[in-house]
Amino acid sequence: MIAPEDQGRAYLYRLLARLLAAAPDAATLGLLRGLGGDGSPVGGDLQGLAGAAATAGPGALEREYHDLFIGVGRGELVPFGSWYLAGFLHEKPLAHLRRDLGTLGLGRTAGTKEPEDHVASLCEAMALLIEGKGDLGAQKAFFERHLEGWAPAFFADLERARAARFYAAVGRLGARLMTLERDGFAFVEGVAA
Amino acid sequence: MRDGKDDAAPRARRRFLKLAGLGTAASGAALLAGSGAAKAAAPAATEAAKGYRVTDHVRRVYDLARF
Repeated sequence: MIAPEDQGRAYLYRLLARLLAAAPDAATLGLLRGLGGDGSPVGGDLQGLAGAAATAGPGALEREYHDLFIGVGRGELVPFGSWYLAGFLHEKPLAHLRRDLGTLGLGRTAGTKEPEDHVASLCEAMALLIEGKGDLGAQKAFFERHLEGWAPAFFADLERARAARFYAAVGRLGARLMTLERDGFAFVEGVAA
Repeated sequence: MRDGKDDAAPRARRRFLKLAGLGTAASGAALLAGSGAAKAAAPAATEAAKGYRVTDHVRRVYDLARF
């Protein structure tokens, strides 16, 4: 049985994974506009996301996504962990990640050539861990090894990125979740990395 | 460490997360977290995140890896 707070973490990870893997389509935008807040910090961020979705169209979001992450030659941000950690791709962090994902039975889809350390893939992996593949210690270890070192900076950069409108709200929510994860895991006894 | 029932730390952690809104507010994101059936959706969602919806990323990775 998964606690509501942990289910909420998984929901947010999945939401972030979805929005960071591709720009939201019209149906997703409709759902985003329906998000409501409740006065809590996370509620406020979700309300901000709803507000940002209300003034955005799918076409503009495609362009924003492209400008931020793909760009001509290079987008504004590189959403891969090894880039943030090592300054280039396919480095040691990626090798560590591959090993850890293998241990968890989370290998990448056959034929996929994209590195596994895309922020969307890592958020997806956290959701899977929370929803049953890993206990709290395993979640903490994975977070500390593969997200904590760079994802907070990535989300902060996303929040401030020049091209970010809708995605500034995504960055804010992501930064919030990273902070809550770090502080939440502080309650959990350390696991050797 | 296991998520022990009689352990104070996990309870304190949940209380902390609940105050932040991860219990109630975040449940509003359920509809956006994939289709209703979480278990059935998990592998598909993984493929979506890792598969060819991010083809442009793949191209860019190769561009970036060149130097």
